[in-house]
Amino acid sequence: MARPTTPTPEVRRAYVLGGNRIPFARAGGPYVRASNQDMLTAAIDGLVARYGLQGERIGEVAAGAVLKHSKDFNLTREAVLGSALSAETPAYDVQQACATGLETVVSLSNKIRLGQLESAIAGGVDSTSDAPIAVSNRLRRALLDLSRAKTVGQKLAAVAKIRPKDLAPVAPNTGEPRTHLSMGEHQALTTAQWEITQAAQDEVALASHQRLAAAYDSGFFDDLVTPFRGLTRDANLRADSSLEKLAKLKPAFGLGLDTPATMTAGNSTPLSDGASTVLLGSAEWAAAHDLVPLASLVDAEAGAVDFVHGDDGLLMAPAFAVPRLLARNGLTLDDLDYIEIHEAFAATVLTTLAAWESEEFGRTRLGLDGAFGTVDRAKLNVHGSSLAAGHPFAATGGRIVATISKELHRRKAASGSDAPVRALVSVCAAGGLGLTAILEAA
Amino acid sequence: MTTTVVLPKVPALGGLFARGAGLSLARRVRSGPTVLPDVEYVVRGVRASSDHLTEYQHLLGESASDALPAGFVHVLAFPVATALMVRSDFPLPLVGLVHVANRVTQHRPVLLTDALDVRATATDLRGHRSGTQVDLVTEVSVDGSVAWRGVSTYLARGVRLGGSGDEPATFVPPTPTGRWKLDGDIGRRYAAVSGDRNPIHLSALSAKALGFPRAIAHGMYTASRALADVGAGRGDAFEWSVEFVKPVLLPGTVTVRVAGSSEGFTFAGWDARSGKPHLTGSVTPLR
Repeated sequence: MARPTTPTPEVRRAYVLGGNRIPFARAGGPYVRASNQDMLTAAIDGLVARYGLQGERIGEVAAGAVLKHSKDFNLTREAVLGSALSAETPAYDVQQACATGLETVVSLSNKIRLGQLESAIAGGVDSTSDAPIAVSNRLRRALLDLSRAKTVGQKLAAVAKIRPKDLAPVAPNTGEPRTHLSMGEHQALTTAQWEITQAAQDEVALASHQRLAAAYDSGFFDDLVTPFRGLTRDANLRADSSLEKLAKLKPAFGLGLDTPATMTAGNSTPLSDGASTVLLGSAEWAAAHDLVPLASLVDAEAGAVDFVHGDDGLLMAPAFAVPRLLARNGLTLDDLDYIEIHEAFAATVLTTLAAWESEEFGRTRLGLDGAFGTVDRAKLNVHGSSLAAGHPFAATGGRIVATISKELHRRKAASGSDAPVRALVSVCAAGGLGLTAILEAA
Repeated sequence: MTTTVVLPKVPALGGLFARGAGLSLARRVRSGPTVLPDVEYVVRGVRASSDHLTEYQHLLGESASDALPAGFVHVLAFPVATALMVRSDFPLPLVGLVHVANRVTQHRPVLLTDALDVRATATDLRGHRSGTQVDLVTEVSVDGSVAWRGVSTYLARGVRLGGSGDEPATFVPPTPTGRWKLDGDIGRRYAAVSGDRNPIHLSALSAKALGFPRAIAHGMYTASRALADVGAGRGDAFEWSVEFVKPVLLPGTVTVRVAGSSEGFTFAGWDARSGKPHLTGSVTPLR
């Protein structure tokens, strides 16, 4: 008798059903003593409370942190165990630099699309206040040799290798391991290459603060943000910012270049602490839990550039990934209603837009007939982005997905039409990485 | 006819330096020979150790591979050439010799498991605008065919043989792609993996005794960092050339550009404040 064959799974839609995050704090602020596990648990518990998931066995939870202690090898599972979710909820950790949060949404959505999961929680967290401090390589090696030593002679030999300077702790930094330039220094090279002015960057920063403040004032974030440790809004938000104030700030990056330095603390994201989560599910699971699908994840595309040899700027991978993503889906920039480009720096957004508007870049680097296209600024980061909210690295993807999914659903409902409403999400990351995705209103 | 001197193993550089220092002192008293000795030095069956290779790869930022980085082959083989340079009939004093250029041709990868036959000769004694230059040629063969060939050019300042050489090219700092932050102990750390414990690399005090304000980085350390930065794009067979322009004082920061070119890769390391170059070079895959 023939064994039954396993049927090829039908691909179905995966929906964003909601989100929850804690307000983002500045490094050394109110979350200074909170660990990654503390903040991720708080964000999950806020989501549980918001959507009535107490004791619920969720299909899988995936989250991660960029700055991670080695003791946090099971960070997400530990956060789940400390949360109000069922202890039978499985979990796994993801780490893809600043794309971590968006990657958890993409990979969990794909599992739902394939029928492996009915529900999932995607998330991310980062603390620059409680960053892991490591010992130097030489001290670590000596200590490991010492632990393996069997005789007194071997032990003494291991200890004798330790020098006083080896005892100094090593703190993580934003330097790229292969170039030893910081992310800001890398962006400054790209900013100079594309001749982006400080005034243009300050305008992006101001719009980010004004739009985020307006969204808070209108109550948009009331069902997306749960207060934590006395914070009710993102601590970095400056509702009273102005171009005059921004223009007075001194340049922080690109000081050693031939071109004028244009990147300031005002148009660069600050180091931040925070956590975010996104609730995902199938249509059936949503209906069974009386939840309204907000948006579905249509497709995603990762990219990477060779910044090590200067071919492209460190944060330019999305400039290549987005054209591939849209081409695969038969879309152009004009078919998108919202464009979310993570503001690592205001200049990151502007260099990406400049590359897409460049005939030469389109022809020589993207292999198109001409420029890729122009982004209507009215569609760009409509409720503000990382410059105003702050950027706890792995938490940014979840913040963007939850925010824009709610906005997509609102727009579609208000339109009263069946025409698709779409958003593009683009996140650049260390290592020359980028992750991009298309969401469509449900 | 060329005399062949077969050494039982690769000599330790420390002893060679001591011998070279003694000869250099003697040479100040009486002038030395003005032609190169017609001699080749040979060591057969040299093998690398895996721990030594790992130490080297970690220090230089090379990927962990059982193929020996071209700079590591130099570390293994060059002491054979140094043995030739401390002969009493070698015309230039070892102390004060400056490594001004290096060119390596790797015909095929040299593996950790290979038995290496090393052959060193000295050629092309010639005049330079500030002294006399000579090439030390080291060939590394595996199973009878040359896999790696290094030409190290040394300059003896003030030793005049006639001739003037070329003027140095002007350097315009390009757009950087990265930076090397070199700690004060990098000379000692490279000395530990390379065996090259020339006092000019070890400490400010020992470097001062030899006329440098502080310790200086080994030229081959900087050239090998550049080769590591090129990465896998160099392929299995390539030519790696470098000119050492100005020493890197330790501790120090070298701003670098390592980027693709029409031929392969070019690299440069310079002082961002003064705009003066430390080294320039290229890595060209052989097709």
